[in-house]
Amino acid sequence: MRFTIYQESRIGRRKTNQDRIAYCYSRDALLMLIADGMGGHLHGEVAAHLSVQFITQAFQREAQPALLDPALFLSRTLSRAHSAILDYAFDKNLPEAPRTTIVACVVQENCATWAHAGDSRLYLLRQGRVAAQTRDHSRVQLMMDQGLLDAEGAARHPGRNRIYSCLGGSHLPQIEFSRRTPLQDGDLIALCTDGLWGPLGNEGVVLGLLGGNVMSAVPKMMSRAETIAGDGCDNLSMIAMAWHEDAGQPTPAAVSTQTMALDDFNTRMDTFQRGRGSASGAPNIDLSDDEIERTIAEINSTIQKFNRN
Amino acid sequence: MPPQANCALPHGFQLDQYRIERQLSLGGFSIVYLAFDQDGIPVAIKEYLPNSLALRKDGEVEPRVPDENMPAFRYGMKCFFEEGRSLAKLMHPNVVRVLNFFRANNTVYMVMQFERGRTLHDYIQKHKGEVKERFIRAIFTRMLNGLREVHAHKLLHLDIKPSNIYLRNDGTPVLLDFGAARQTLALDQPMLKPMYTPGFASPEQFANREALGPWSDIYSVGASMYACIVGTAPPRSDERVKQDTLQPITRQHASRYSPQLLELVDWCLRLDPLARPQSVYTLQKALMQKEAGEAMPASWFTDLGSRLKSFIGKR
Repeated sequence: MRFTIYQESRIGRRKTNQDRIAYCYSRDALLMLIADGMGGHLHGEVAAHLSVQFITQAFQREAQPALLDPALFLSRTLSRAHSAILDYAFDKNLPEAPRTTIVACVVQENCATWAHAGDSRLYLLRQGRVAAQTRDHSRVQLMMDQGLLDAEGAARHPGRNRIYSCLGGSHLPQIEFSRRTPLQDGDLIALCTDGLWGPLGNEGVVLGLLGGNVMSAVPKMMSRAETIAGDGCDNLSMIAMAWHEDAGQPTPAAVSTQTMALDDFNTRMDTFQRGRGSASGAPNIDLSDDEIERTIAEINSTIQKFNRN
Repeated sequence: MPPQANCALPHGFQLDQYRIERQLSLGGFSIVYLAFDQDGIPVAIKEYLPNSLALRKDGEVEPRVPDENMPAFRYGMKCFFEEGRSLAKLMHPNVVRVLNFFRANNTVYMVMQFERGRTLHDYIQKHKGEVKERFIRAIFTRMLNGLREVHAHKLLHLDIKPSNIYLRNDGTPVLLDFGAARQTLALDQPMLKPMYTPGFASPEQFANREALGPWSDIYSVGASMYACIVGTAPPRSDERVKQDTLQPITRQHASRYSPQLLELVDWCLRLDPLARPQSVYTLQKALMQKEAGEAMPASWFTDLGSRLKSFIGKR
């Protein structure tokens, strides 16, 4: 697999960042996901964090190096993440379970499969046009479908933040799945929260990603969204991935997974402290004790293998 | 403030299944020890211990890593693993062999085959101005067999220099220290900036890392051959880019070396990556012929002798 990927999350004008984003890839599979913890509810960021962590860990367990069935994986882990949030609420005696939106996408064997609940979105852009996008599980989207509201009205509707499906909370999530979608060289997949698509609108997101250089386009787009949203700016997050054909032109920032070990993973999960500013500048690398042990075991098994020959 | 130097583990210390004999070298990222395994076989053990992030005081075993350095320390550990991963796959008589990898004392260790001999750097110091052409051609042709293997695994060494080329007592070279390999990873990590030895690193290692390739290692090979002939490293390539003070050695050392060898060194040291030999194979071919028609012994090229030996040795 060859792709260029960029992710960023900003706090906006809020006191905390309740968005959680992560991507993770093995040699043959890539997972991207965004969760937007629901602010009006207790512990929204906990729900977002739990989901992202849970799904990433499941991916690392199962993508060895590819998932047996990406759609099945998404359906199973998203519902289990929901249960994990309920368990957490039960353990901590919370009066109600925290909630989060979710959008998750798996790419493997040159095809993308995604699933979502809530109003965090996924766009698939092909040659500068939207080839596919998720439909928000929101009141205003339902009203638009029934012809009661147009896009402009939806953007200003007071209930535009109300969603009817999410992980956590008291109802079972209604998770919507995509088809298995073959990718072409140059395709862009972008996942984002309403903090980004809200101020920019569909056109803004599509325009912002034109040109295909995700490394420079995403930060620019986020700054634009912050400016437009002004003082009321919500947390905003985006993961954008440009897909490259294996045999295509070399691209400087692209990741090639061809030489990765079979049980090797690269994970990037951004988490945030309360308040602004992450300051340290050090990349967030979670090299857990388990990973250290696993890496050492892997190197030793390689040594054994090559010494025997 | 310069970071304090780390203290080495003491003589006789039992480290996992190995007993420490003495410290062999101390670098910015690691300490290398001579140790013996349970069967009394000598090994070289490299301990991950970046000076700027972790400190082991005299008499202590576990280095202290301040909390604020922990992410960077773990990140550097990842790079150390990369080195192990790269080396584990390589089995070649001219590349150092990794034997084991383990974790202890809150850090990690790489066990390598211990080779008796000395570094090319020491050799140059001892024979300053008297390194023979035949020696240069023989050592580098064989060392390049190892480098070819490295490149064949889609790896770059990126820190080739005389002190990383080891000469066994039987005269065959071994390529050491893959610490810089793949350190492209560490670029955005200020405390773990890759450390290059000035003079041996190619200009693209300083400025234009997208241009890195086999030709970058070839620049370092050229600089190492230059050091054999002149006795010192060539001027730093990042300075050369601004103002090139390198005198082509074709003119200076014509009395002792053949023009073909001197031209070859100048060719490797070209600032433009595309102007250098593009593959190790090209360089090897050129090293093996003095003048058109005069070829060096074929055994240097294939190193059949030592391959056979390592084959027999395992039976």
